[in-house]
This record gives sequence, structure tokens and C-alpha cells, in this order.
Amino acid sequence: MTSIGTGYDLSASTYSPDGRIFQVEYANKAVENSGTAIGLRVKDGIVLAVEKLVHSKLLVPGVNRRIQTIDRHIGLATAGLLADGRHLSNRARDEAANYRDQYRQPPPLKSVADRLGLYIQAYTLYSSVRPFGISTILGAVDKDGPALYVVEPSGVFFGYNGAAVGKGRQLAKTELEKLKLSELSTREAVIEAARIIYLVHDDAKEKDFELEITWIGDETGGLHLPVPKDLQAEAEAAAKAALETFE
Amino acid sequence: MDHFPTNWGRPRNDAYDAYGTYPIAQRPYNGPKDAFAQGIQHTQQPIVTGTSVLALKYKDGVMLAADNLASYGSLARFKDIQRLQAIGAHTVIGAGGDMSDFQYIQAMLDELIIDEFTAQDGHTLGPAEIHEYLAQVMYARRSKMNPLWNAILVGGVKDGKRFLSFVDLLGTTYSASTLATGYGAHIALPLLRTAVEGKEDILNEEEAHKILEQSMKVLYYRDARSIDKYQVATITAEGVSISETRHLETSWSFAEGIRGYGAQTQ
Amino acid sequence: MPSIEQPQQRQFNPYSENGGTILAIAGADFSVIAGDTRQSEGYSIQTRYAPKVFRLTDRAVLAVNGFAADGNMFVKKVRQRLEWYRHAHAKDMPLRAIARLIQTMLYARRFFPFYVYNILGGIEEDGTGAVYSFDPVGSYEREACRAAGAAQSLVQPFLDNQIYFKNQLPAPGTSHPAHLPLSTVLSLVIDSFTSATERHIEVGDGLEIYIVFSKGSTSLQGLASVRGLQEVTTTDDGERVFVIRRELKKD
Repeated sequence: MTSIGTGYDLSASTYSPDGRIFQVEYANKAVENSGTAIGLRVKDGIVLAVEKLVHSKLLVPGVNRRIQTIDRHIGLATAGLLADGRHLSNRARDEAANYRDQYRQPPPLKSVADRLGLYIQAYTLYSSVRPFGISTILGAVDKDGPALYVVEPSGVFFGYNGAAVGKGRQLAKTELEKLKLSELSTREAVIEAARIIYLVHDDAKEKDFELEITWIGDETGGLHLPVPKDLQAEAEAAAKAALETFE
Repeated sequence: MDHFPTNWGRPRNDAYDAYGTYPIAQRPYNGPKDAFAQGIQHTQQPIVTGTSVLALKYKDGVMLAADNLASYGSLARFKDIQRLQAIGAHTVIGAGGDMSDFQYIQAMLDELIIDEFTAQDGHTLGPAEIHEYLAQVMYARRSKMNPLWNAILVGGVKDGKRFLSFVDLLGTTYSASTLATGYGAHIALPLLRTAVEGKEDILNEEEAHKILEQSMKVLYYRDARSIDKYQVATITAEGVSISETRHLETSWSFAEGIRGYGAQTQ
Repeated sequence: MPSIEQPQQRQFNPYSENGGTILAIAGADFSVIAGDTRQSEGYSIQTRYAPKVFRLTDRAVLAVNGFAADGNMFVKKVRQRLEWYRHAHAKDMPLRAIARLIQTMLYARRFFPFYVYNILGGIEEDGTGAVYSFDPVGSYEREACRAAGAAQSLVQPFLDNQIYFKNQLPAPGTSHPAHLPLSTVLSLVIDSFTSATERHIEVGDGLEIYIVFSKGSTSLQGLASVRGLQEVTTTDDGERVFVIRRELKKD
């Protein structure tokens, strides 16, 4: 794929002659090799969905979550090194608790994303630690309405209306661009998100996957919760049907 | 993030534990000491206070009542305060005593509930757990001679079981089917006990509310640090609800009949 | 000379008294530990049912009385130490060791004591019934019987007469029995509490009696006539623990 930085890629504290830090770029590679995660920011809420690749039939279904809850109203989905994702979730929870402690208010997503961006960037400065191998999609409904951010291994973060990270991000982004996100309800967005995940899953390369999908909105009372079983079943059925017509 | 191995395992006390072998929480602290800590004095009196909280068990669950006043000594300072708080989906706490300490307790329990929520493991904290946690905190603070100056009733329903218990600034706990704090314990509790004891599984919501309302009226007549606006919290298997502020209908016209009262001469 | 007053200051008092009374009597191969269930503060009854007697192991029962918050916390701490002992030694702690443990735990807080009068009752390693009583800072002694708490001054003299046979001469040609049978002991316990309830405002509401029997105890037959008996034994080692609950006057 991209060029190998011979000699300038051994530590995060070394620039290459053309001004790149290869360790951070390699961290992005870890993200690109992982199962897809997408986020949708719609009219009245947020939907997060993850293509959870199942590497063994012995795994108990429904566990090993890739979408974590931060505070009451924030969801955090990761693509990349999943252990790094859990570490970052714990840090995000501490940051959210700290905000609440200082301001006695639920933390706005912008503040949490900002703090996480600073934290992740700190691991790109030293040779003694490695950068985080994850891209994180953060979604919340706070006092300013629904918000969606993506934090990358370099520590940079942007706000999005629709975001995708991981293996199938190119195809997912194309599909997301086709949608009129600001007009969808969260219920409709759940159906669309499931459809996109099923679409980007490459049956030839991996066998099984589980769809993990969560939402925040009026229907959840502002809480970040897994989508109810009946809605998830409906979305998966619709997604499978859409695949038939696509092929 | 400590990058220097020579710092790991320090601070340690070489007199007892040269190799940092036992858990960090127990290692003697060798860092800079706060010279000011000697002069710190702790709360010896509550400042902005709430009065009684009442509670009873009835057929469908548990009901609590508290008025909306926070007094500043004899001044009725804040007349729109909510002294009943829902904790999670199964519990309500009501507090009398220092209101700033109660606000601290509310924030502390909120943090506890959020931690439980983010775990997303299918478990939720019920009233028994909240009460035990509070009792441990209150007792620990009193043992440091720095109490949270409150008397708290914890009520709730979980897995079909009703729960009602008391905890105060000393860490004293007790449980019964009718409870009250402050003046309520002297004035209202006899009324609650007569009305409820033996009938915990018979009284319906309306009857339970009537009993509480009657007791709140008596307290408004007799407690000089109360007002006639109050709220009721109801917890059943369906969940928690805290009512809007209600007004107590009381009659003070008897005062006119008292000779020597006000402008009357004889 | 005009008197000069010291400057006055109010300070938070970390203690309170919650009333109640506890009692324990040792038999030849059993031990009885009882306590009323009323918890009060001043002239108010806080609750009519707050247990003061707790099963530690199948051989040991601890009654705590004084400041209820300290009492409940002390029982928690003792139970924790017993669990650590079980993990370290693969057996339950013997009764006399528990007694010594309680002493060290209490004395460790010599300068901010647990305001609790403890009575530990149970079966010794040699199968005999035992009662150990403690003061709040850990002074202790093994005895045949002890009452503690609000009505101590009413109950202990009664026990001195009925169990130690003080100020009593045996009938000519006989001697006082060294141990009393279970039925007699239970009657003494119930009578002690009903009498204390009559005359002491802080005693009443309910009575909880724990009985601990040694392995192969013959005294178990004495239980046949007792109503409302409940077994709380958890192991198969042979010792057995029972609870009896009775009502006391509520005024």
C-alpha cells in the first residue's frame, strides 16, 4: 500500500525527511484492518453500528462489545486494536466523570472528544510508548442536540454527520453520502445502518460477523442503549433482503 | 505516564518494605506533607437545613414525603427545594439536615449510578445496595470526625421486594415499615405506626398518600421550621415517580378565638 | 471573686446510645445467647426489630450492645477476619481464639473505641459451653453467664442468684448443680427479659435467643417442646445452632 519508511519508522519521536511520523501512519493501518464501524447523526439522535467479526464459533454471542457507554448519553465505538479501545473507554469515562465533578452538568460531547484527542496525541510524542491503534467514533445527544465525532490515532478529531472507519469504510462512506441524514429519524437510521454494515461485509474474506448496533435519541430518553431486539431483528431482516436485490 | 524505571515502586519506605512488595494503598507515604492539614477544622454544625422526611411501606411499594423548605436557621430561606431524589430506577432517597452535604451525596450517588449504567452488564443497583453504600460512607465520615450532617431515608422496590431504611450522620441504620427523621420521628411516627402497622400489605396508594398528608399537616402545625408545600415519592415494581409540589390545606382561624392574641385586648 | 467561665464550644459527638440488653449463659454442652430487638435513642424507639445477636460460625455467636453503628460495623469486621482465617488455615477459628481476636481488635481502637459491649457465646474446642464478655476496649474473661446493656443492673443480680446460687444455701445433704439443663436456662432467659421489659424503658418489642449445641450434645432433647424453633446451622461438623424468637411488651 503506502511506502515503508525505512529507518525513520522505528519510533514515534522521529520525523521522516518529508515530515511524516510513520508510527502514527502504521497505527492507522491497524485501524484499516479491523471490522467496520459507522456512526450516523440524524434529526433527533445518533446511531452507532459495528461489524463485529467473529473469529470462532465458540464465542458467546452478544458479548465482547465494541460499543461502550460513556456517562449516560455518550456512545463510543472503536475500530482497530480492541484492547486499546477498552483502555480509551475507561479514560473517556474518567474524563466524563471529571467534567461532571467540576461543572455538575452532563459533559457535552465536544469536551469529551477534545480531552480524548489531547490524550491520544500524548502517545504520539515519545519513543517509549506506542500510539493508540484505534479510530474512535463518539456519538451523543447533549444540550446542543445530536453530535458525532471521530478521533484518529494522531489525536486529530472532526465532527461529522456520518462517519465510517475500518475495513469497509470506503463503501460505507459512499452509502452514507447518499442518505439525507438530517431528515432521517433514529428508527430509520437504524435500518439504514444495518443495511450498510451488511453491505460492506465481505463474505469471501471473513465468514461470520455479528451486528452490534446502539442508539441515542428521543426513543431512549437521551440514554445510550443497545437497539431493542425486535428493531434489531427487523433491521437485519431488511438488510439481508436489500443484499439480495443488490446482487 | 512514567517512562523511568528507577521511579517505579517509589515512594516506598525502606524501613518496612524495601522492594515495594505490598499493595500501593498500604505503603507508607513518604512524599511532601501538608503542613496546613493540622489546622483544618471540620463541620460542627449544619447551616442550610431541611426538616423531617416521612416514609411508609404500602401494598404496592414504598412512599416518601418531604416538604420543599431549606431553612437558614430560623429564616425560611429557600422555599422550592426538592429533598426527595430518585437514584437509578428502583430507589428514592429523602434527606433532612445540611443541604450542602445532601447535594454532595446526590452527586456521589449519581456517579455510582452512572458507573453501574456504563458497565451495561444487566445488573442495576437496588435500594439495599444504595443504603449499604450510604451507610458505609456516613460511618466512615463520622469516624474521621467530619460527618455529612444528614438523616436520610432510603426507600425502593426491586425484584418485587419492598425496602425502607434509615441512615444518619453517625452511620446508625435501622429498618421498619414506617420511618421518619427529625421532628417527624416525635410527632408523625406515632400517627404513621398506628395507621400502617399490620396493614402494610393492604393499604393502597390513595390511602397511603392520605396518611402521609395527614402527618405532613400535623408537622406544619407543630414544626416551626416547616412549610405547607411538599412532595411525595412513590416507588412500585413499575418504577419511581416524584410528584409535583402539593399544598397542604390547613386552618389557622382558631387563633382569632384566643384571648390576648394580636390586637385583641380582652 | 467573679467566676471566669471557660469559653464554650459545641463539638460533634461521634457516639450515641441505642439501648437494648443482651445476655449469655453457658451450659455443659450448649450455650445460650440472647438479646432484645428494640433499638432506641433517647425517648424514641427507632425500630422494634434490629437484631443484636449474630451467628459467626456454627460454634460461635456474638452479641453486641451499645452504639448500634459501631456494633454493626464491629460484627462486619469480625466476620471478615474469620473469613481470612478460614482461607489461611482451612478450618474455622476456635472459640477462645475468636475471643482473643476480639480483644486485639477492640484494643487497636483504644484511643477512639468501638462503643460496644460484646458477649461471645459458643462451644469450645473441648465441647464445653462457653461465654466470654468484653468491655469496649478489649478487657475480657470467660464466665458462666453475663448480662450487658441497659438492663444489666436488673438482670445480672438475678443471674448471680439463679446460676451461681449466690446468697442461697443448698438443701441439706445436697449441693448446687454445676450446670443447669437447657429448659431451665431458657426459662431464666425469658424471665430475665420479660422482667427487664417491665421496668426498663429501653428494653422490649422482641426477643431473639440463639442456642449453640456441641457435637453429640444430649441437651438437644430439651428443644422438643419449644415452639417456633429455627435451625441456622450451615456446616456438617456436628455443632448446631438454633434461633427462637419471642414477643416482648411494646410499651
